[in-house]
Amino acid sequence: MKFAVIVFPGSNCDHDAYHAARHVLGQEAVFVWHKDSSLQRADAVLLPGGFAHGDYLRTGAIARFSPIMQEVKRFAEAGGPVLGICNGFQVLLEAGLLPGAMLRNRNVRFQCEHVYVKVEHTDTPFTSNCLQGQRLRIPIAHGEGNYYAEPDVVEGLERGRQVIFRYVTDAGAVTPEANPNGSVNNIAGLCNEKRNVVALMPHPERACELAVGSADGLVLLESVVSSVRRGAFATA
Amino acid sequence: MRARVFVTLKTSVFDPQGTTVAEALHTLGYAAVKDVRQGKYFELDIDVRTPDEARRVASEAADKLLANPVIESYRIEVDAGAPEPVR
Repeated sequence: MKFAVIVFPGSNCDHDAYHAARHVLGQEAVFVWHKDSSLQRADAVLLPGGFAHGDYLRTGAIARFSPIMQEVKRFAEAGGPVLGICNGFQVLLEAGLLPGAMLRNRNVRFQCEHVYVKVEHTDTPFTSNCLQGQRLRIPIAHGEGNYYAEPDVVEGLERGRQVIFRYVTDAGAVTPEANPNGSVNNIAGLCNEKRNVVALMPHPERACELAVGSADGLVLLESVVSSVRRGAFATA
Repeated sequence: MRARVFVTLKTSVFDPQGTTVAEALHTLGYAAVKDVRQGKYFELDIDVRTPDEARRVASEAADKLLANPVIESYRIEVDAGAPEPVR
């Protein structure tokens, strides 16, 4: 299958995502510049981490106007699998593809560490190979990952089973101590109602080889390869 | 016409930066400062004829870009003074 890695000016995890898809998984992968208007017939889209457009104004606020985002929207609406990682999550929020917004981390610090997240639901293209409740040890690196939405929106996300990843302790408990940024309900990742657009603040693409400390993130990309192979999320 | 747009986090939203600044002020001895809300300030130079038009443009700009309605609210002030000459 073919991954499209979107490159904004200021993206800095685009090569990590490309490396994971191309070299670790052995799949086809292409970089797509934000001013392009074609996703090059990719089967899945990765919005990488970094600081798109310098995060001027707000994180992800300017990236939403990049020409390629029209294509990403069309692709997502057609049911294509889209994964937003860190800054990619923030871009998807600003673009309105996912609900809510990011605030500064509660402790006002840039948090750079390995955390545990729990996979809450496996019926998305990026978690289909996971076990329900599986714990993944993957790194975070962000200053604005404090997920916020109005209480009724959060309730809707929980009811709709759209909270896909939650920060937990190494024993799998959802506690305030396990929450690195103050996100409401320990939310680390979400999906949209159609479940084809998934995003998370932690970096699975940086945890795909034991040489870098953890390979727990690989299952997300393996999942989408399996999903695309099954035709579960074909965009025609 | 000059419009000034003040964007702050909604009062219902926790403001970690404002809280940190408040704590720093307390450290400096300003115990009277009870709360700080941090925000953004924009000056828009708008080529329109009336303050109402300037307000309308600024308000649209705030809705579409300057503020994120999920977490932020804004307030607009318009200078009705003569527009500065275009250089």
